[in-house]
Amino acid sequence: MARNVSKTIGRGVVAIAALLVIIPLFWTLLSAFKNRVDIVTPTPMLFFTPTLDNVLYVLERESVRAGLINSIIVSGCSVLIGAIFGLPCAYAVARYPMRVADDIQFFVLSLRFLPPVAIAIPLIVIWLDVGLYDSRIALIVTYSLLTLSTTIWLAIPAFKRVPQEIEEAAFVDGYGPYAIFFLIALPAAAKSLIGAIVFSFVLVWNEFLIALMLTTSDAKTLPIVASEMTQLGRDVPWGILNASVILLSLPPLLFLGVLSSFLSSALKTRKQG
Amino acid sequence: MAELSFRNIAKRYGDIDVVADFNLRVEDREFIVFLGPSGCGKSTILRMIAGLEEISGGELAINGKVVNDLAPRERNVAMVFQNYALYPHMSVYGNIAFGLKRMKIGREEIDKRVRSAAKTLGLEGLLDRRSTALSGGQQQRVAIARAIVKTPGVFLFDEPLSNLDAKLRNHMRVEIARLHQQLKTTTVYVTHDQLEAMTLADRIVLLRNGAIEQVGSPREIFERPNSQFVASFIGTPAMNFFEVDLAGASAPCSKKARLAIDPARFDLDGRSKVVVGIRPAHLRPARQDETANIIEGVVDLIEFLGNDALITFKYAGEEVGALVPAQMSPRVGDQVRMTFSDDNLHAFDIETGRSLAKRSQGRP
Ligand SMILES: Nc1ncnc2c1ncn2[C@@H]1O[C@H](COP(=O)(O)OP(=O)(O)OP(=O)(O)O)[C@@H](O)[C@H]1O
Ligand SMILES: [Mg+2]
Repeated sequence: MARNVSKTIGRGVVAIAALLVIIPLFWTLLSAFKNRVDIVTPTPMLFFTPTLDNVLYVLERESVRAGLINSIIVSGCSVLIGAIFGLPCAYAVARYPMRVADDIQFFVLSLRFLPPVAIAIPLIVIWLDVGLYDSRIALIVTYSLLTLSTTIWLAIPAFKRVPQEIEEAAFVDGYGPYAIFFLIALPAAAKSLIGAIVFSFVLVWNEFLIALMLTTSDAKTLPIVASEMTQLGRDVPWGILNASVILLSLPPLLFLGVLSSFLSSALKTRKQG
Repeated sequence: MAELSFRNIAKRYGDIDVVADFNLRVEDREFIVFLGPSGCGKSTILRMIAGLEEISGGELAINGKVVNDLAPRERNVAMVFQNYALYPHMSVYGNIAFGLKRMKIGREEIDKRVRSAAKTLGLEGLLDRRSTALSGGQQQRVAIARAIVKTPGVFLFDEPLSNLDAKLRNHMRVEIARLHQQLKTTTVYVTHDQLEAMTLADRIVLLRNGAIEQVGSPREIFERPNSQFVASFIGTPAMNFFEVDLAGASAPCSKKARLAIDPARFDLDGRSKVVVGIRPAHLRPARQDETANIIEGVVDLIEFLGNDALITFKYAGEEVGALVPAQMSPRVGDQVRMTFSDDNLHAFDIETGRSLAKRSQGRP
């Protein structure tokens, strides 16, 4: 009896928390398809004639398209770099005992714990000096630090979860360390590794502060462009703003939906019995 | 076809000697079982044969060729792991074929060999199954198929059955025995289960703290244990031991224990105290007129084992177990008087635990 009550209360709390998250999102989604009049009306409207104007307006803007391309290139490249260098590095740390393994893990974690501003300000100076300020290259290199550290951090436990005997069996079967990495360790840990890579993608796709500080016009990413929509005029164009937020959220949400099982297996750090 | 020879093999982790001065010859076609308590170095030695563990000292030769510095694939061995170690992202077929692919064998030949190995182990219907979608017994069969398909010179098994339930374990044990009869491949098999060792082995290598305690056929080890450790490790229920004081007796025997210790069989060498051992199965109820080798006490526990019952009583301060036919079992609280034949007595040095039996006097 008492257990049932506490279960019900627990469910209630979870439901309220979920609603708190979902309602604003849902409202944003609705507003993206509303006319301005319907948005600013004092009585919230659940039923209205939907319009595609907002979405089309956003999509037709040159700045949005440029931002989208920048975002895709920058996120894609930095995620790729993070995976290509991060996965072998994580494997080495996970499998081969070395004195510096702990130092590497600490370094990687320290990158994640530093406030982004602390990374961004010195980087502004560096990129200005090199003459690459406000370029995709600068953003890719900077983001690669983030994707590398995230990928390594999540991939180490993923590789550690692959039973050592499997790799030893392949060794006795005649395969060398590289073949074992590519043919055994990578596919065996694939689920968690894909999760780790997606996670690093979402991280840089959503990244705002560093992008804001490292770009002024050419290399602006989608979050920066979207945020600038608020400055379109004195009247806040709520519909357009909501539409751009929805567009911005789509890729990470899609990833989350499709790959949530991968993500949860990447974020689980302990071996399940 | 392969024979193995270990010469002064040693393994150190830092300052710890896990194996020191291990010497053994394994003949071609032989089924050798490494038996010993947990942590005695069985897996370590097996992994040194496989090439998974570096050899710290000595020489390991396979077919006369020293393999200390060779990679596993150059040693022509195959290994079966305790937790099966199947490649989780491959099908059963892929698992069995994986080692062959590395050996640069033609596709058709691989297919033929995979199917024949699968047939040997009754896996024909499962070849397309994901290796993770199998029961424990099936997984272990795939692991064994993966080993035999390579037709290696030596099979290495590291406790292959210990993850299976008792019934399946018996079944797989028989299968492994059959497989060895059929293939005759030299095999080194690690276990801490004495039943597996007794039933499978041509010779048992009994290990303790990284050193060989005794090497011999299951029968030799059971009947003529070299030491008290071996005697206590082999045989269920475990052997009974008593300290016997020989001092003051005109004949080398103990008055209190009324146990005669035959100087013709044992090298007593002036010792005043020895440890004697007698297996529970060798004790039988004594007739009234028998007075030699008498062990008596009041039964305080009876364990029913099916055909037999294990009765336990206290004698000379020690717990004594005796196996009696179940229908003749006494009741708790009954006085029992047991005896045994001289041949079945073992005697050990009280300090070193070494057997005092004169080797030449051993029974056949
Ligand atoms: N990497 C290592 N570093 C230090 N000591 C080790 C290492 N690996 C094993 N040992 C030690 O070597 C000894 C033998 O280990 P091993 O695994 O060979 O035992 P085992 O006989 O196979 O035992 P079990 O029946 O439990 O499998 C153990 O005492 C163990 O603690
Ligand atoms: Mg072991």
